[in-house]
Amino acid sequence: MRRQLRSRRAPSFPYSYRYRLDDQDELNQNYLADEEEEAEEEARVMVVPKSEEEEEEKEKKEEEEGQGQPTGNAWWQKLQIMSEYLWDPERRVFLARTGQSWRVMIRPFAHSLNFNFNVSEPDTWQHYVISLNGFLQGYNDSLQEEMNVDCPPGQYFIQDGDEDEDKKACQFKRSFLKNCSGLEDPTFGYSTGQPCILLKMNRIVGFRPELGDPVKVSCKVQRGDENDIRSIRYYPESASFDLRYYPYYGKLTHVNYTSPLVAMHFTDVVKNQAVPVQCQLKGKGIINDVINDRFVGRVIFTLNIET
Amino acid sequence: MRQKRSEIYSVELSGTKDIVRTDQGDDKEKYRGLKNNCLERKKKNQEEDFQKELQLDDHKLNNRELEKKYGTNIIMGLSSTRAAELLARDGPNSLTPPKQTPEIVKFLKQMVGGFSILLWVGAFLCWIAYGIQYSSDKSASLNNVYLGSVLVLVVILTGVFAYYQEAKSTNIMSSFNKMIPQQALVIRDSEKKTIPAEQLVVGDIVEVKGGDQIPADIRVLSSQGCRVDNSSLTGESEPQPRSSEFTHENPLETKNICFYSTTCLEGTVTGMVINTGDRTIIGHIASLASGVGNEKTPIAIEIEHFVHIVAGVAVSIGILFFIIAVSMKYRVLDSLIFLIGIIVANVPEGLLGTVTVTLSLTAKRMAKKNCLVKNLEAVETLGSTSIICSDKTGTLTQNRMTVAHLWFDNQIFVADTSEDHSNQVFDQSSSTWASLSKIITLCNRAEFKPGQENVPIMKKAVIGDASETALLKFSEVILGDVMEIRKRNRKVVEIPFNSTNKFQLSIHETDDPHDKRFLMVMKGAPERILEKCSTIMINGEEHPLDKSTAKTFHTAYMELGGLGERVLGFCHLYLPADEFPETYSFDIDAMNFPTSNLCFVGLLSMIDPPRSTVPDAVTKCRSAGIKVIMVTGDHPITAKAIAKSVGIISANSETVEDIAHRLNIPVEQVNQRDAKAAIVTGMELKDMSLEQLDEILANYQEIVFARTSPQQKLIIVEGCQRQDAVVAVTGDGVNDSPALKKADIGIAMGIAGSDAAKNAADMVLLDDNFASIVTGVEEGRLIFDNLKKTIAYTLTKNIAELCPFLIYIIAGLPLPIGTITILFIDLGTDIIPSIALAYEKAESDIMNRKPRHKKKDRLVNKPLAVYSYLHIGLMQALGAFLVYFTVYAQEGFLPHTLINLRVEWENDNVNDLEDHYGQEWTRYQREYLEWTGYTAFFVGILVQQIADLIIRKTRRNSIFQQGLFRNKVIWVGIASQIIIGLILSYGLGSVTALNFTMLRAQYWFVAVPHAILIWVYDEVRKLFIRLYPGSWWDKNMYY
Repeated sequence: MRRQLRSRRAPSFPYSYRYRLDDQDELNQNYLADEEEEAEEEARVMVVPKSEEEEEEKEKKEEEEGQGQPTGNAWWQKLQIMSEYLWDPERRVFLARTGQSWRVMIRPFAHSLNFNFNVSEPDTWQHYVISLNGFLQGYNDSLQEEMNVDCPPGQYFIQDGDEDEDKKACQFKRSFLKNCSGLEDPTFGYSTGQPCILLKMNRIVGFRPELGDPVKVSCKVQRGDENDIRSIRYYPESASFDLRYYPYYGKLTHVNYTSPLVAMHFTDVVKNQAVPVQCQLKGKGIINDVINDRFVGRVIFTLNIET
Repeated sequence: MRQKRSEIYSVELSGTKDIVRTDQGDDKEKYRGLKNNCLERKKKNQEEDFQKELQLDDHKLNNRELEKKYGTNIIMGLSSTRAAELLARDGPNSLTPPKQTPEIVKFLKQMVGGFSILLWVGAFLCWIAYGIQYSSDKSASLNNVYLGSVLVLVVILTGVFAYYQEAKSTNIMSSFNKMIPQQALVIRDSEKKTIPAEQLVVGDIVEVKGGDQIPADIRVLSSQGCRVDNSSLTGESEPQPRSSEFTHENPLETKNICFYSTTCLEGTVTGMVINTGDRTIIGHIASLASGVGNEKTPIAIEIEHFVHIVAGVAVSIGILFFIIAVSMKYRVLDSLIFLIGIIVANVPEGLLGTVTVTLSLTAKRMAKKNCLVKNLEAVETLGSTSIICSDKTGTLTQNRMTVAHLWFDNQIFVADTSEDHSNQVFDQSSSTWASLSKIITLCNRAEFKPGQENVPIMKKAVIGDASETALLKFSEVILGDVMEIRKRNRKVVEIPFNSTNKFQLSIHETDDPHDKRFLMVMKGAPERILEKCSTIMINGEEHPLDKSTAKTFHTAYMELGGLGERVLGFCHLYLPADEFPETYSFDIDAMNFPTSNLCFVGLLSMIDPPRSTVPDAVTKCRSAGIKVIMVTGDHPITAKAIAKSVGIISANSETVEDIAHRLNIPVEQVNQRDAKAAIVTGMELKDMSLEQLDEILANYQEIVFARTSPQQKLIIVEGCQRQDAVVAVTGDGVNDSPALKKADIGIAMGIAGSDAAKNAADMVLLDDNFASIVTGVEEGRLIFDNLKKTIAYTLTKNIAELCPFLIYIIAGLPLPIGTITILFIDLGTDIIPSIALAYEKAESDIMNRKPRHKKKDRLVNKPLAVYSYLHIGLMQALGAFLVYFTVYAQEGFLPHTLINLRVEWENDNVNDLEDHYGQEWTRYQREYLEWTGYTAFFVGILVQQIADLIIRKTRRNSIFQQGLFRNKVIWVGIASQIIIGLILSYGLGSVTALNFTMLRAQYWFVAVPHAILIWVYDEVRKLFIRLYPGSWWDKNMYY
């Protein structure tokens, strides 16, 4: 069923068919599949398409199951596309636009989303630093330069070819993160009460954020006085994820892929009180207010910096 | 008693032994058994009650003593004030209805019965778990609260359902109150008054006339030709005369007491009330009946056994894995939740409801065949019945005297005794018959009630006693309009029957205008009639009555008497016209006409004939391995005759007495083992120890119990039950009601049956057709087989539901199926299919096999449990896991990545869990995938349950022998399964609390090969069972 819809959508939406749209309720994500047998029947989109015959047969079968309607009818297909537009059963979205769902997560990961530390007691923040350092090991400039390629920004890094062929990855150097790279300040600002928190996007195989305008990260106080956070810096300065890091081909072939990051440097935050922070992705068509999954297009955490 | 009766009309010949015994034994003979019985059951109050009954001696007192005893006056009656006092003291004259369990208690019982306790425990554990979670974390998820509530809801729903079913079936019960006569004519304050019978008190003087019910136990003070129908109390078909004479020590046998709720058929009687309400004989029997505990039905025992097995498995696996989980360092709280999951997975929540529905479907089917089942579980009981104790009168017989044999011209003729008398084939050409028929017609006072022109003759109501009715109907059928014949032969004078004459005589003008003679016709006890005769008519000619003719008469008389029939002799005399001219004035007091030297014409014998369907039904019961025993209050001779004619004693089997008679040796010398049949009287029974009774029940194939009291019927039923037999009792009278209650299944006659019997019974045959019992047996056996199938079907998936939890605990996979989802299988998709199995036809001729052994042939036996749980169940679990792994693999979690993933998977703070392809998943995404997994697992089970359903259609035969499409309901079941599955997945997929998601269509087919494998596997099993009967395979694989 899904496959049929996707392939039908293909002509009119040249790109969107190639990845699975993914809203909060939908998790059947696409990935480059060198699948097991049982999975094989469900051919992947990114995979070189199967023979036309097979395709048709499958469609026929699925259509019979799904609607019990005759196949190969152009009029019917049009109607399908139309009705899909009204009500997409796959995603259960009414009048669905190209709603893209980014899921994001932050680092350091400390088993909770409450960042609670005392500036003057290194023991309280040391584990954040260790966590960040560990996380950023894979982003070391030397490693990136050695393993990955520097690809042109602002466009997808599409690598056609055999599906089990190894893919190259774009460089994301630790130094992009400037003050939050831990290179200059090995404590990532924690020692000064200006913590760095890294925002990364959850990897989804084949996902291509179809961006018109760049998606910007922006943080603010979630509840309470807006002025509790007086300034935040973002690195890279664009506060966005570059297209060249997409699509992701899966870790089996895309071995050295490094997720793009946006570092948020909370340079001036009210001390000695819990400040709930919400960092959202903002841009055209970005969903960031889903209630069930609070990591869609946003992340919420609290900062409680004691001095 | 018997002697008395023989004086009336007839003599039963070989009853002498009994009579002697009766006379020797004191009046307690019938009640000794009762006394023992009571002692046995150690019910003190009852015992006292019956002892009080023994002390009844009012029949021995004369009128003056009675007046004194009850402080009343025979002429004036009680004063109103005294009556009011007594009423206040003794309470109203009505039977206390049997104690009803309060509805709320019944309801609560349903709430804790069966698996409910387990589910309650599960629910409370859920809430406790939530309480603990809440106390440590205020934002704890409400899932456990939901689950607990759902479990409680399930318990309450199934409880309400069971309660409703039970209430529906008990509503049919009518009460004893119906038997109470509405009004009574009583003398109080020297005035005749009509008062409600309920207000009668002891000492009241009441008048009862023909057609009324006796309003209380009364001592007869005076009577005019009163006869009462005691058949519901004693099983005697014949009306009993009632007079003020004290005739027997035993209050039940004496003539001067009329019993509450019996009917006065004719005449009038005035009597003094000596017992009211519960203190009456009927009251005692009623309390005896209600004192008999309701036995658990065999199917109830089976279901309990099954519940124990399943609960045992659930609890032991639950606790085992609780311990394992704790020792694997799971938190106790988590382990507790596992425990709940295991319990829910193990308990087939819907099964008990399914069983109820299945039983009620069969009950409905049986109701269509005129078997009304009052107690649902009794539906199956009949199927496992191994002994039927049948009452005679009204059950096996028509409870209607009917002419059975005629003897004239030195020949015995057989009359048709079938229900409609349609086929009278005996030779009617002889002129002796013409004379005989004339006597039968004329010497008869019975008349049809008017206004019944369109009613078939045999169904017409008649005024007159049973014998006369029989003769009237007999002659009406053969000769046509009897009334017209009587008109043509005008009656000049008659002497009605009385106990001194012991004959009935009438003198008529003849219908031949040229014959001016009067015809005197007479009927009565044969030997009395013979005494009055000097000639005998043979082929229409009078012959002198010599010794040889007298001998042939005696032979015939003996023969007919030996058939248990009541014999009447008929004679006539044409009075010579010269001596008795037309104007002659007959004087019945002076007897100015000859009453000797008459001409003997013939004998006619009557019996209460068996119902025409009974012999066939008895044969069928026999071939189904069911022993049919007759238990009757009637006389042994009659009982034996009926037993022979219906096949309860088969044609070629003999009793000890028969053998003795044939070999001409004393009874003592006969080898007991040679006799296949036995006839045991109540008198013999009361002297027997329980062991002796057991011996008789075990050794004889064909047994008739005669002259038994209600209490002895009870003892007999208990004796049969001691043989591990499932006992069915059929009966219609009040005297049967204790036995009906005691029996595993009591079957009452719907038309002839008294309300007391119907009340005590579990099943009512609406058409009084004994053959319906055979239908019942067949349905009962079928339902037992089909319940096996249903249970096997239901149990299978429990393993598939259980394994996920075990693997979840041991291997740390994300939970494959949720508790709520399990409930949707148990109470959703599986319900209709398991009911559909009730419609399955029998695999072989179930009426040719022995009834199941109560203790050996269990509903759920080891092969069933093992095959369902470990063979098909495990295959099903594998198939369902295949779907589960397919879904996860498709999403990026290959099976090996799932192992021990549980902790991270369920961690709310891990929102970028990596899968096999490096994709990262938030907690919510994982949860959604988990639900998809639930749905997948659900679909996997569902698909394989379809195969399971198909294989369960048969236990031994191949599906193709049984026919895949013969049971259409199975396909309805399969359709319902699929439709419910589709609705759950695609319709309710968006309701978060239900944990269903929209599953991709192709996942529905992943388990199909597995389903086919299950089918093939089971076909192979059945093939080997058929190929190698009795082999190891057969013993272990046939359930």
